[in-house]
Amino acid sequence: MSLGALLGRTWNGIASIVVRPPTAAALFRRALEYRNAGRYDEAARLVAEGIEQAPQSSIGHLLAGYLCAARREIEPAKLAFRRVLALDPYHPRALLGLARIALEENDLEASRALLDRALQFYPDFPEARALQEMAISPSGPAAATTGAAPAGTPLMSAGDLELGIPARDLSVTRADGSPVVARVDDKRAQVLAHHLAQVHRMATATLACAGLGPLRRGVVETGGGMTLLLSDAGLILSATVDGHVEIGAGLTQIADLATKLGMTASAP
Amino acid sequence: MSEPPAPIAGATQPTGSAVPSRGPSRALAFREMLAELSKLERVRGGLIVTPDGLVITTDLPSQSPADALAAFGATLGRELELGADRLGRGGFNAAVFSAADGTIFVGGHPIGFLVLIGDQDVDVAAVRSALGQALDRLRTPVANA
Repeated sequence: MSLGALLGRTWNGIASIVVRPPTAAALFRRALEYRNAGRYDEAARLVAEGIEQAPQSSIGHLLAGYLCAARREIEPAKLAFRRVLALDPYHPRALLGLARIALEENDLEASRALLDRALQFYPDFPEARALQEMAISPSGPAAATTGAAPAGTPLMSAGDLELGIPARDLSVTRADGSPVVARVDDKRAQVLAHHLAQVHRMATATLACAGLGPLRRGVVETGGGMTLLLSDAGLILSATVDGHVEIGAGLTQIADLATKLGMTASAP
Repeated sequence: MSEPPAPIAGATQPTGSAVPSRGPSRALAFREMLAELSKLERVRGGLIVTPDGLVITTDLPSQSPADALAAFGATLGRELELGADRLGRGGFNAAVFSAADGTIFVGGHPIGFLVLIGDQDVDVAAVRSALGQALDRLRTPVANA
């Protein structure tokens, strides 16, 4: 063999090593490392590349679902999890992913059914157990109408909802998501009540999981202000105030209002 | 078989090549930040979780149910984000929830949620401030990563 031919073969050998594309499994492993570093976009690109090579990979579709969910892309996440289930109908992580989305969308029935399926084969699945607790907690979709106070609830009207500082979205909501009274229009009252019930359900479950007891008070800070909430006896009193209000002062105000409304005996 | 496979079973073996980094490792930065916050007075520990409930890093007492807390924390964090959006309240920043025996803090970030667990008498304002600063520090590398 001539020196030229030998060099040529050697070069071709090296080139074939250098340019050989990574396998789908290697791409998924790297994607996972990116995900763990919070670099979701780069991870998603690698997963897409891997799925092109291995379109029937449940790992690839599961990772795609995780990454879509992490990037708050809910419909593509559902699609990816469903693809996993098409390959493996009882894949616990895909079932969990869909159950979490259903819970987020307040479709508790669907969430429970998916979790039941996951737990049927994997009864010791802590995340599924945790979400199941959340999905079967007493709060449910709003059913009642504004102004209808439950038995034992102090009678109150929108005019009673006065905080000592400027506030908006003042409301009292039952833990099941039905509004009792609110100083907003009916449409907003429903959205507000649904959100408050969801937060109540989820915060209560998180506090219980940490062994801290039932929810009493909460403060949620957003770009548009600070929402204060107080929970007692199955009722949630809430108001949104300016973001510059000091947290302690805001909580004192809402506790005073709860006492005035007669809805709490344990306000701080 | 009663326990489910690892989140990505079959894809968790070391690859021998770490995530290419520009500047300090993000994963290391998460761990350091959480360790720093966990040292605050009357803070018991915490975790960073993706919006879909997978743990990125934890610094919790050994008996704490990290996976369940991650599932709860992520679901709560998502509802706080979605609710803020539905009600036109601007982006979700952080939340504090207190009970008879303790307090939880939830901080929002593009990568997920930072959850801290504190005692009932924790200094809410001090922890809230430290949490905000930590999340701000994390935001810069996100833009550059």
